[in-house]
Amino acid sequence: MLNETKLSASVAEFNGVSLRYETGPEVLKDIQFTLQPGSFHFMTGESGAGKSSLLRMLYLDLLPTRGRVRLFGHAVDSLSRTAKARLRRQIGVVFQDFRLLDHLTAFDNVALPLRIAGVRENEIRRHVSEMLAWVGLEKQMKILPPQLSGGEKQRVAIARAVINRPRILLADEPTGNVDDTMAKRLLHLFLELNKLGTTVVIATHNQPLIKHFGFPQLHLDHGHLQLIQPTNKYADMASKLFKRGDNNG
Amino acid sequence: MAKRTDIPFFQDPSRLFLPWISMLMIFIASLTLAGGLTAYRSLSYWNKNVSGSITVQIPVVDEQGKSRSEDVQSDIEKALTILRTNPGVLGARVLENNQMRRLMTPWLGEHADIETLPLPQVIDVTIDTQSPPNIQELNTELIQQVPFAILDSHRVWLDSLIIMADGLMKLTVFILLLLMITTAFTVSYSARTSLTMHKQVISLVHMMGANDGYIAWQYAIRILKLTLIGGFLGLILSIPVIFGVAYFFKTIAGDFNCCIDSILLATLIGTPFVFALLAFLSTLKTVLTSLKRMI
Ligand SMILES: Nc1ncnc2c1ncn2[C@@H]1O[C@H](COP(=O)(O)OP(=O)(O)OP(=O)(O)O)[C@@H](O)[C@H]1O
Ligand SMILES: [Mg+2]
Repeated sequence: MLNETKLSASVAEFNGVSLRYETGPEVLKDIQFTLQPGSFHFMTGESGAGKSSLLRMLYLDLLPTRGRVRLFGHAVDSLSRTAKARLRRQIGVVFQDFRLLDHLTAFDNVALPLRIAGVRENEIRRHVSEMLAWVGLEKQMKILPPQLSGGEKQRVAIARAVINRPRILLADEPTGNVDDTMAKRLLHLFLELNKLGTTVVIATHNQPLIKHFGFPQLHLDHGHLQLIQPTNKYADMASKLFKRGDNNG
Repeated sequence: MAKRTDIPFFQDPSRLFLPWISMLMIFIASLTLAGGLTAYRSLSYWNKNVSGSITVQIPVVDEQGKSRSEDVQSDIEKALTILRTNPGVLGARVLENNQMRRLMTPWLGEHADIETLPLPQVIDVTIDTQSPPNIQELNTELIQQVPFAILDSHRVWLDSLIIMADGLMKLTVFILLLLMITTAFTVSYSARTSLTMHKQVISLVHMMGANDGYIAWQYAIRILKLTLIGGFLGLILSIPVIFGVAYFFKTIAGDFNCCIDSILLATLIGTPFVFALLAFLSTLKTVLTSLKRMI
């Protein structure tokens, strides 16, 4: 019951959040933002600006050194191990370095979140095959990651992140290793998911892609966060269109 | 489909080491159990069947070989009185010559003229097996009044055997406990090593929302398989040794009450399962505790 009311609030909420690694300098300073359910954001900022660090806090890999992070309405610093695990099953992550399991085939890598969630094998087989076909890897299903190209690995990582239809998808530079056509195709996959209600945050350097899709940007500059609304009229319209689709769905 | 585990266990050196160790453990456990159990059961058999008979001998010649025939009869009377008044004794009677002859036949032959031999008089004593007399006290009492009497009791050596059997049982339990503790520590240690080795994979699996139980279960199931495989190899290896030893005892001690029956076999077959279960639980507990400390 409690969860339901919390759910309708916000997906993520950062309140005066600062982060430093051990004794290093503050990488993120006084971060303040809220992610509404069904929203779609790009995350930008130059290399070392703290994008990955911010995402790590969102997927419960790091706790803030100062301030408060709430995820699906829960204060993250007071979560039990089981509660944390339960929340994590609703988060899809595409890691900047993929983090595929080298001893598992592309199929089994993608199937992993479903197996952890206890989904039945015949269902897993169907879902995973479909998903791999969607990202154009139906022929690579039985291949181990070390034998995949960079772009193929990236697509496996993306398939694994979205297979469970997470409530929030966090993708760290998910199109860095693919050509523009594939980048757009993958972005459309995220859009499909977004239409079904998933909140999406994508960290990227790819300005043409940002322009093309025109979603608001969470921009990091020297540890400070600033929200940049799209200026492109067409993109603005497109984003409104998606929002409406979201409401209808 | 090929066997798939989230954690790449095939990289662990323990995949060969653990079956080997549990093979050794079960091999030793089987031999220990077979020995301990057989000793214990043989002794309880002897206890039941031998304890009823003790004898008292009254020699008819003294140490110098001089006949003491005039004292023999009074010695017998005194000994019988002492024996019959003891509450642990059910009956005592002097063996007849023909009974003596039968007893001596193996040594002296069918036609020995035993009346002319200086054979001792023998009193056959039946004791109450439920509450047997204290043999040491009975002996002291006898010697005091009949210095020449020789109490010959299976009880005397049976009592020491019972003490030995008790010791053997305790030793068996001790060795088994030692083996179990070693097994538990070994699997626990190898689980911790493996957790450190696969830290990255585990943290990823955690990140995808796996509970500690999900990971611990994979570890425990793996250990269960490895220790069962090793354990049954150990059992199979121990069987010919046990049969060999049993055969050896049968050869040297004809009707020796031995050894291999359904109870022993069931115990032996159960042993690998008990050890594997122990390894399973130890691993489960180790992984659950270590994960809390790790991430
Ligand atoms: N584990 C860590 N320990 C210490 N410092 C770290 C660690 N991870 C990141 N940093 C530091 O934090 C800062 C932000 O790093 P982060 O990885 O978040 O940047 P980023 O925006 O993702 O960069 P990029 O675009 O290159 O991926 C950097 O200065 C980096 O050196
Ligand atoms: Mg980064």
